[in-house]
Amino acid sequence: MAENQRTGAPLALRRRHHSASCRELAVRAPRLQLRALSTLTSAVWLAAYGLFVLCENSMVLSAAIFITLIGLIVYLHFVKVDQESLLIIGSLGIQVTSSYASGKESTTFIEMSQVKDVVINEAIHMQKIIYYLCILIRDPQDPQGVSEVVPLFQSSKPRLDCLIEVYKSCQEILQQRETAPQSSEIK
Amino acid sequence: MAAPAAAPARRRRRHTVCMVSDFFYPNMGGVESHVYQLSQCLVSRGHKVVVVTHAYGARRGVRYVTRGLKVYYLPLRVMYNESTATTLFHSLPLLRYIFVRERVAVVHAHSSFSAMAHDALFHAKTMGLRTVFTDHSLFGFADVSSVLTNKLLAVSLCDTNHIICVSYTSKENTVLRAALDPRIVSVIPNAVDPTDFTPDPSRRDESTVTVVVVSRLVYRKGIDLLGGIIPELCQKYPDLHFLVGGEGPKRIVLEEVRERYQLHDRVRLLGALEHQDVRNVLVQGHIFLNTSLTEAFCMAIVEAASCGLQVVSTRVGGIPEVLPEDLIILCEPSVKSLCDGLEKAIAQLRSGTLPSPETIHNKVKTFYTWRNVAERTEKVYEKVADEVVLSMSERINRLISHCGPVTGFIFAFFAVLNFLFLLFLRWMTPDSSIDVAIDATGPKGAWTKQCFPGKKEKVKEVLNS
Amino acid sequence: MVLKVFFPTCCSSAESGILIGRWISEQSSAVVLAVVHFPFIPVQVKQYLSHVQQVTKIKVSVLGSWSNSKREKEESLSKFLEDLGTIFAHEPWIQISKEGDSKFWSCSTLQKESNSSKEEEIILVYYDQRKVMLSQLHPPANTSTDPKADDASKLTAVFDTVANSKILFMTDKYDDGPVKLTHWQSDGVEASIIVELLKQASVPVCLLLTFLLSLTSVVCKSRMLKFWPLSFLWSKLSTCEQLGHRLQHLQIISSSKKAQNQTQLMRKANIFVSLLIDVALGILLMSWLYRKSRIGHLADTLIPVADHIAKELQDLLQWLMGAPAGLKMNRALDQVLGRFFLYHIHLWISYIHLMSPFIEMILWYVGLSACLGLTVALCILSDIIALLTFHIYCFYVYGARLYCLKVYGLSSLWRLFRGKKWNVLRQRVDSCSYDLDQLFIGTLLFTILLFLLPTTALYYLVFTLLRLLVVVVQGLIHLLVDLIDSLPLYSIILRFCRSYRLAAGVKFRVLEQKQGKPLRLLMQINPLSYGSLVQRYRLPTCSCYPKDSWTSLCRKLFFGELIYPWKHKGEKQD
Repeated sequence: MAENQRTGAPLALRRRHHSASCRELAVRAPRLQLRALSTLTSAVWLAAYGLFVLCENSMVLSAAIFITLIGLIVYLHFVKVDQESLLIIGSLGIQVTSSYASGKESTTFIEMSQVKDVVINEAIHMQKIIYYLCILIRDPQDPQGVSEVVPLFQSSKPRLDCLIEVYKSCQEILQQRETAPQSSEIK
Repeated sequence: MAAPAAAPARRRRRHTVCMVSDFFYPNMGGVESHVYQLSQCLVSRGHKVVVVTHAYGARRGVRYVTRGLKVYYLPLRVMYNESTATTLFHSLPLLRYIFVRERVAVVHAHSSFSAMAHDALFHAKTMGLRTVFTDHSLFGFADVSSVLTNKLLAVSLCDTNHIICVSYTSKENTVLRAALDPRIVSVIPNAVDPTDFTPDPSRRDESTVTVVVVSRLVYRKGIDLLGGIIPELCQKYPDLHFLVGGEGPKRIVLEEVRERYQLHDRVRLLGALEHQDVRNVLVQGHIFLNTSLTEAFCMAIVEAASCGLQVVSTRVGGIPEVLPEDLIILCEPSVKSLCDGLEKAIAQLRSGTLPSPETIHNKVKTFYTWRNVAERTEKVYEKVADEVVLSMSERINRLISHCGPVTGFIFAFFAVLNFLFLLFLRWMTPDSSIDVAIDATGPKGAWTKQCFPGKKEKVKEVLNS
Repeated sequence: MVLKVFFPTCCSSAESGILIGRWISEQSSAVVLAVVHFPFIPVQVKQYLSHVQQVTKIKVSVLGSWSNSKREKEESLSKFLEDLGTIFAHEPWIQISKEGDSKFWSCSTLQKESNSSKEEEIILVYYDQRKVMLSQLHPPANTSTDPKADDASKLTAVFDTVANSKILFMTDKYDDGPVKLTHWQSDGVEASIIVELLKQASVPVCLLLTFLLSLTSVVCKSRMLKFWPLSFLWSKLSTCEQLGHRLQHLQIISSSKKAQNQTQLMRKANIFVSLLIDVALGILLMSWLYRKSRIGHLADTLIPVADHIAKELQDLLQWLMGAPAGLKMNRALDQVLGRFFLYHIHLWISYIHLMSPFIEMILWYVGLSACLGLTVALCILSDIIALLTFHIYCFYVYGARLYCLKVYGLSSLWRLFRGKKWNVLRQRVDSCSYDLDQLFIGTLLFTILLFLLPTTALYYLVFTLLRLLVVVVQGLIHLLVDLIDSLPLYSIILRFCRSYRLAAGVKFRVLEQKQGKPLRLLMQINPLSYGSLVQRYRLPTCSCYPKDSWTSLCRKLFFGELIYPWKHKGEKQD
């Protein structure tokens, strides 16, 4: 039930404890900057107007408007991620949701039996070396092996201190899972 | 009493070193094992070491090897002979990121063949870090390519804090090529792990005489000479066998020789050898043959001698310094001279005047140890850490005054460009927004102490499988 | 272990009673299927359950009690509910009670044998019974689908339970059975009557189709058409391949065998819909073609176009025979090659003119084939293009052969220069010492070939570009045909209209919480994304794409190897 916010630079981490074994962690990216958007649009339109003056074809102007509109829709619908959240339900599974600026949500649910572990790993990304959180999926053939790595928070890429906090929360719940079968065996 | 108390305090100092070289495991060779062993020894002495190299096939990203040594395999394009292509600038963003996140104080570059090492030196100097360079190879002075590479080396080394060479010949060569002040050049030889190379006379076939050659089959290693020696000696000694380990473009020369003289049962080509298999090949022979045309410090002959073999080698580069006279037969790099040397070795073997493998091993194992190398390298770091790094203006002055008017100006210009690029990168991603890497080793290592209760280690290696 | 109760949303307003469903002990989850109302006779309930168990092969049992009290909680009722647990022995006995219109239900379990007072955590998961029953779960493709992996996920178990217990839902709301149940009930019996009628009608249609198809396939397989020149011709014409492909599709649809599983059913439906749309498009095209005598116009323009192309080619050859782009070529070779190609064009033009009176008729008949589907029409178009540009193909082959010969000659002579030779047995380059005569002749030949190379290379370049143009046009047509052939239209429509039918998995939503009450989750169905849908249900296509990557294509072009039609089945090309 506890709800708290931790703001590091522009990203906000929101934690929500629904119950002892159910937790939701959401990383919210900054909202779309109106200034950047309008600058870009006006830049494109100015360039189109320049072209129009040069070649005196009004097609250019309508094409520019069309392209900016399509671009904006594509950007909002497929690129700009508003919030990425991680819902961990002990004994049920981990659900990863990323909601786009247009309201579209894409969700993946990974069952607890498939989850091997949640770890922080390092990777070279573009011209950077970043830490990222990932879920290791158990290989059905080989219980020790890892068949797949699902990276989390792919678009917001939070920094290490935020990742560690998420990691600790995840591990607390994952440990309940590990201890539970043992205690029943003892009993 | 004050002096001894101060000395340990000085020795306590921990360094954060970044080894940069194009050559690292899984590639095999002298430089690779040097970097690896040196890093391991430094790690066990409490320093923090990271290794930076380029990606080898699917091996890219960040990996950990033994004792938590962190290796960055950067996705840079390989141009020739496992050396990366260089534009002098394109590797700056990644290298800067690594230097900042690992809080590197000393950048230690290896091998003058490695473009990445030179790049790293260039960037480290721009960023104001201390630099050390180890030269592993010898060069000529005469032909056009040597003149060019020597010029580049001079540019690269003129403002480097310290240079390490592996033998006195190599030091002489480097000082001449790069026009350096000999006082900033140290000699630290390579080493072998004597416990890895122990003799085992029972593995030898006493009914024959076996000559072992272990090297990459390339021109520099004198494989063409070997192709001349094999038929000549095989005709003379019917019980002579050759065992060749290694792979390379010159393999075809040996295959042709083998087919032409029908020596399939006497010349065995083993192909590429894993490092742990080298000893098993070495102990099968009586004589070790090295036909290199140029060599700064030949680790192969030390390994062979440590296995108790009689060594026959060419007298080139730093080889004469490596082993004492009684353990090695030195020849000129020609077929005739090498044949004479081998015949002498065979005669000694037949007459039984050779010392036993055990005595050779016991003698050699005291010569070169990695612990010694690490201690001496540590001293270099100590020295470098006290020096001041040249400021930008001083560096440009040094470049112009040191490297000739044309080259100097060009590279001074490049240095300025690089600095501007660095400023741009600092503006794009400020140092404060770069996460500090969690150390696996060193004084604050996460692997040595429990960072989080319950979980063994925080950062796990995932992809290494 | 946390106890999970899967509760259907339609039962939330049911009257008090007992919960029946399946207990999955290894996951400690209970799937509630229905609520049996008071009053009931325990024996009848047990009988009913055993009947259901026989039919559905799943272990349905009484899981616990359900109380929905509008007013204050009655002490006697709760005692009674606890006592029920002794009648229907179940471990653990689940008690869910709803008070008034409160959203938060209280939920508790009773362990009789081990009197552990340890309070177990309970999660209430609501699900939509109808959607879960109808949806088809698609596990990610990369996890191996070996049948023995029965440790499978718990979700699959839940889905299977609900889907298999269809028999429970067959009973109507108004049926007067011995036990009164609340669960999801279907409404809309009228539509299903029409479907039933259609099903009955389709049987004779299918039989007729099968008969016709077997007849055609017998004719196709007859000995007459198997002789060498004909079979070779068939394999080269894309129309024939497309027709064969469609024939196979028809056979699949009309086969009287019942589809064994969901995938095959979907495949059949996809083929059917794509066939339907294909034919509809084809008829649309035909109706467009035959109106206002468009065929005649087409035929009238076709001949001048062919003439024009031939003219352009002649001009191009004339240009090549001079000094193209200021290049100085070997004059004699240039003339020979140019004349050779000019003669070919001449032949071609006369051939076209011979054909011209019949073109309109041919087109008219060919146009009829569009009623077999748009894809067939497109394939015929592609074949016509191939026939009309046969001369370009010939030029390309001649040029490529010549060029290839020269390149190989040069490369082997270059080896001779360096004192090497190609060892065929070992597939490697060996060193070899040559005589003086051999070297002399080799040098002479090398020089001649080297100086003649630019002329051949130029001809090769020009004709390769022309050929590539034709190949690209044909490739685009085939791409379109493949798109129509392979798109799983039925699945896409299904995904669009009834997105829950094709599930990639589930997603959970956390509902409002209250202290002391169990965690409430809403299970929703996560539909399959369009990309993975197309990937999973894509129909196989007939055409073979080149396996070459771009680099190997460029390599082939450089060394003058023929790029298209690529060699398959070891056939000769020219």
